[in-house]
Amino acid sequence: MNSIWTIAKREMAATFDSPIAYIAGSVFLLVAGLMFFFGIAGSDDYFKGHEATVRPLFDFAPWVLAVILPAVTMRLLAEEKKSGTLELLVTLPVTDLQIVLGKLLGATGFLAVTLALTLVLPIMVMNVGHPDLGAVAGGYVGLLLLGVAFLSLGLLTSTWTHNQIVAFIIGLLLCIFFWTATDAILHLVFEPIPPVLQLFNFQVQFNDFARGVIDLRNVVYFLSVTAVAVVASTYSLQSRHWN
Amino acid sequence: MNQAPFAVAAAEHDAPASAVRSGETVFEIRDLVKQYDTKTALSGVSFDVHAGEILGLLGPNGAGKSTTMKILTGFMSATSGSVRVAGTDLQSDPVRIRAMLGYLPESTPLYADMVVYDYLMYAGQMRGFSKQQCHKRIVEVAATVGLRDVIGMQIAQLSKGYKQRVGLAQALLHNPKILILDEPTSGLDPNQIVEIRNLIRELGKNHTVILSSHNLAEVRQVCDRIVIIHRGTVVADGTVDELEGQVAATHRLIVGIEAKSGVAETALAASLGQLDGVRKVTLSHSSQTPTQHWTFDLECSRDLRVALFQWAQSEGHTLLELRRKAQDLEGIFQSLTLQA
Repeated sequence: MNSIWTIAKREMAATFDSPIAYIAGSVFLLVAGLMFFFGIAGSDDYFKGHEATVRPLFDFAPWVLAVILPAVTMRLLAEEKKSGTLELLVTLPVTDLQIVLGKLLGATGFLAVTLALTLVLPIMVMNVGHPDLGAVAGGYVGLLLLGVAFLSLGLLTSTWTHNQIVAFIIGLLLCIFFWTATDAILHLVFEPIPPVLQLFNFQVQFNDFARGVIDLRNVVYFLSVTAVAVVASTYSLQSRHWN
Repeated sequence: MNQAPFAVAAAEHDAPASAVRSGETVFEIRDLVKQYDTKTALSGVSFDVHAGEILGLLGPNGAGKSTTMKILTGFMSATSGSVRVAGTDLQSDPVRIRAMLGYLPESTPLYADMVVYDYLMYAGQMRGFSKQQCHKRIVEVAATVGLRDVIGMQIAQLSKGYKQRVGLAQALLHNPKILILDEPTSGLDPNQIVEIRNLIRELGKNHTVILSSHNLAEVRQVCDRIVIIHRGTVVADGTVDELEGQVAATHRLIVGIEAKSGVAETALAASLGQLDGVRKVTLSHSSQTPTQHWTFDLECSRDLRVALFQWAQSEGHTLLELRRKAQDLEGIFQSLTLQA
């Protein structure tokens, strides 16, 4: 556990030491903020909305997270591979799973800080009305779980290549695919979409959170996706043994 | 070097290492084969490493030295074969065994964005030590490898020599029983090379060291024993004296001959090959000016200088040069690694 925490701290420091964190964080806050204000009542004036809710944030934030989080995870292992530091890391007395978990935890730190900075929006809404705090909490739990699932997918792509840009592009495509494309593709074939196939769609699982409902099944779903990506990343890291 | 502050913590992590006694076999490497798709990097490498010795893995570029080291450190697995460290199979408990090792990979990969102290703190904590233990040990190791002046600098700003020292410091931080150093002086200037070599010799007093190099002078100066790897196999294993002794029975003679008119080079070589005691004749030089003459490299079972002089005289050739070729480590290395 100590090793996981040590790696996470190092990753957090490295992330916030690079411009990517500030660019990604700024993009998220700017776009999510703009969407929040423009989307709240379908007009360009937040104050005409007459509704004390942060729901628009939860509608738009996943899109932005799907774009910025692969940019944060792209360097996690691709950079270690390219610079050769992976050789030192994996020959320390830690398991490959601990390395993957440490990296994911470090990236989750960035996600948590970024989401925390958006708390200014519900605080502002609380000053002008009485938003449903349960819905706000549910939405943030959903964003965190969804974000960690995106991070784990990005981390997985980072184990596949030495090239950060390649890791980013594949990670971006994977995140967008799980967020939207499955829905669009499935609708072409199935109407309605069978529940089993909806398992591939993050949006279906996230919608309950956005409405303020924390359904244990949805929590388990995102944790399961993350676990599968973590195991796949670990196997990918171990592939050096037989490649 | 005072290593007491780390002794208690290290003992918890290095349980298998504590079983290692001077002279005991630390590494038992048997029949290592490593296959990459169509390329065979190692084809049956076997040797032992004993506690307290400095073993040099010598070989030309691409011989399989780094692959061997990557397998010994657990970075990658062999396609077949086994590695036992202090009696424990590497595959059965890799994390425990890695705790016994200090490793400096080739080209010293480091986190360039980190400050030297923070990096060493990170390396120490990854090995399970507390901040206080790490701090004490960093101070000691920084003194040992000469890092005090740059301990607060960012790694990216350091010279190649200092980066090498940072790599050595992280390898030494947990006071490992075994140090594995892959080309530790590669890319350093002559002064830095001398310093690092002296440091390795010093470290060899308290650690078992395996280092790879393609520098003959380095292994001669630093190593107690040498394993020469060529094309993925061990072609020689022994001390410098032993290796030189192995070939002492073979005499190498350089013979420069201006042949009498009408005798071709092939006929001359054939004639030399028929002399009693000549094992191998190799043409090493040919010249047309001022007259046609050839230089041959002869491998003989005994010193044939007198016999060669008499042969040239009886055959009517002119002997331009006749000398013994020194059979040092360089000669051994060349004869083992330049063969087709």
